[in-house]
Amino acid sequence: MKEEEIDHALNKAAQTPLDLEPELLKRISASLQTSLRPVRPLPPAWMVTCGLILICALISVAGAERLGFAGVEKMNLLERLLVFPVLLALAWVMAMRFVREMIPGSHRRISTGTLIAMGCAALLALFALLFHDYQITHFVSIGVACLITGFVHAVPAGLLGWLLLRRGFAVNAVSAGLIAGALAGLAGLGVLELQCPNFEVAHLLVWHTGVVPLSSAVGAFVGWLARLLARAASR
Amino acid sequence: MSPDSNIDTLMILYQQGDSAAAAALIDRVSPQLYRFFAAQHGSRALADDLLQDTWLRIHKVRHTYRPGEPALPWLYAIARHVRVDHYRKWLRNTAGERELEIASRAAAPSPDDPGRKDELDALLAPLSESQREVISMLKVSGMSLEEVARATSSSVGAVKQKAHRAYEKLRKSMSALGLGKGESGLS
Repeated sequence: MKEEEIDHALNKAAQTPLDLEPELLKRISASLQTSLRPVRPLPPAWMVTCGLILICALISVAGAERLGFAGVEKMNLLERLLVFPVLLALAWVMAMRFVREMIPGSHRRISTGTLIAMGCAALLALFALLFHDYQITHFVSIGVACLITGFVHAVPAGLLGWLLLRRGFAVNAVSAGLIAGALAGLAGLGVLELQCPNFEVAHLLVWHTGVVPLSSAVGAFVGWLARLLARAASR
Repeated sequence: MSPDSNIDTLMILYQQGDSAAAAALIDRVSPQLYRFFAAQHGSRALADDLLQDTWLRIHKVRHTYRPGEPALPWLYAIARHVRVDHYRKWLRNTAGERELEIASRAAAPSPDDPGRKDELDALLAPLSESQREVISMLKVSGMSLEEVARATSSSVGAVKQKAHRAYEKLRKSMSALGLGKGESGLS
């Protein structure tokens, strides 16, 4: 059987009218008309994306202001010129995806999980190529402190981002939480890069980069909880 | 409101609070959405419920539509969300009294409820849920691959692959039934 024949059968079947009751349409129309008033569309995507980037930058700088700028002061020019622009570029990509997650029917080329995995891979590659201190000193104790610092700063970034996009509608709350967490994690990582003077490769690869997947996982969990709560409220 | 106004224009007017545009949009899109739900569930009563829920949801989040973007993927993304939400709720509450009632409505339609499969439902029956979804968007709503990808939050490549696999299954099932051009034989 040829493809055209399948097409023909499907088109023919699709043209068969369904007995959709006109009364039902009238009822739907009447129920919407009662609360029909003009609504303000969401601001343009670029504007919201800039807002999200600004939140992340402010959280990173405010965090480093409190904890010190020892990290950025220890970096050489090349490291500064590569680390911060890459962080900014990743934050831009994640912010754009976060905006898209909050608008139904938005264009996506790859899944959110794949995007975050690619972002983490880019960060790992950057740190592995740029830093060459292969010592391991107090790996866990210092590392956990950095992970907590990064995550603590990711939380307000995530909350503010969510606040900015609260008028949006996530058709997939888990996916929206995942990307919101990843973006917030980049804000936390920004604090660490400005503040932490420990350039041991293992420390950077595990504990600094680890802030992003940790925040993403927490974001996805919060999204899942929000979906459960929304359903419970609608019952 | 001209009946020829396109869906994107109607959507913009609906956002601006134009009641005629809202009514025209409901008239234009509901048959497609109804067909979409019916093709997934086979029950007209359930499709009625899902259609009403979808319009309530659309109304609530109509500000998230961006003028200049295609409206159909936006509408279908919400319809899909309502359907998935309903399915999850059904899974969770299958033991509950209310869901048993819905399940029985879906499983055993009365003679008044035209729940028997129509021609399209019967054709799509061998397909998986996601394949049915893609084929019904492409063929019933006449959406492009790009629009279906937007509505299903996936890539054009993934939609193409699903459509290809669906056509393979349809080829086998239709060949087995001995169907040829010009007659589906399922009515």
